[in-house]
Amino acid sequence: MREKMPKKMLLLFLLLASPILRAQDTKIPPDVEKLSARAKETVEVTMDGPMLRWASKFLSSEDPEEQKAAKVVANLKGIYVRSFEFDKDGAYSASEVETLRSQFRSPGWSRVVGVRSQQDGDNVDIFFRLENDKMAGIVIIAAEPRELTFVNIVGSLEVDQLADLGGEFGIPKLDQKSLSKAHKGDQR
Amino acid sequence: MKLFLRALLVVIFASTVAASTLAFAGDPEFHAVVHAIESQYGVRHAHIPMLGFALFFVRPEGVSGMKLAVFEDFHSHASPDNVSRVVENSLGPGWYSFVRIRSRDDDGDGETTLIYANPSGGKLRMMIVNVESQEATVVELKLSDHAIKRWLKDPKDNAEEKGEDQSGHRRRHADD
Repeated sequence: MREKMPKKMLLLFLLLASPILRAQDTKIPPDVEKLSARAKETVEVTMDGPMLRWASKFLSSEDPEEQKAAKVVANLKGIYVRSFEFDKDGAYSASEVETLRSQFRSPGWSRVVGVRSQQDGDNVDIFFRLENDKMAGIVIIAAEPRELTFVNIVGSLEVDQLADLGGEFGIPKLDQKSLSKAHKGDQR
Repeated sequence: MKLFLRALLVVIFASTVAASTLAFAGDPEFHAVVHAIESQYGVRHAHIPMLGFALFFVRPEGVSGMKLAVFEDFHSHASPDNVSRVVENSLGPGWYSFVRIRSRDDDGDGETTLIYANPSGGKLRMMIVNVESQEATVVELKLSDHAIKRWLKDPKDNAEEKGEDQSGHRRRHADD
């Protein structure tokens, strides 16, 4: 009986920890993939492993901007982008996006940017994953009435570097000021 | 003089045939993808006269090499996953899935564009497979440095543009 207890505890731990483990390991959550069936257009961009390493070497040139991007990419394990375009408003519900966001409100994740626009319905959320006080990944969820973009960047990078990545590899452009402000606020 | 003209004609004919053959042969991966589509969906790629010759002179910006195969009788309602399985099984190691675009129009007809990349040294090759309900295209591109940087910067827009180019090419070809 005594020998069985640790096993039971381990199973219980795994059961409790599984959503966290899933959120960390899954490149694209199943909730995101499901939207593809309703979308008029789905775009998937995948850059990982050898492709990223190659891009990092390729970008290492004399151009300072490229050098910056190459430095960021060198520490990344993967960039995964899913972008959906819908032919009418309301093709996906607010609760579906909320369910998606909630997966990144688990321990290990921190929501650093949340923008809500009542006027045009654009919502952006940025979540950071921290490992030993270092950033180990970023998830961006950008929702518009007829468009939804999900970006998962796996690997270590700094907040300032995230702004450098915006506009590259299919990642939406990000406002450096709001990122820095949000990160400072989060650290406090 | 007659002998000279005959020799000239032979040279022109030979170079045209050679160029046309080069558009399709000489690249095992391109060849493998085309044959996999042919055998899986029971179609044959269309013979386009002077294609190799034309591709030698007319290439999209930033492309240093290009191969093209067009399937005009593609009546299979293949799912995007099925097409990507067929393509991935025929590509060798070193090729990576880079961009996938799936779209559908108001009639429910779909279009799938699959882009695979093969990075090696300072070069990048791309295999682009575009499938519509009745047409399919396979294109292999060798990109220049400038074009690679453009693709890395915005893979989504470049892929959409390339998909439209391929649809346009087929439509133009069908109108001829």
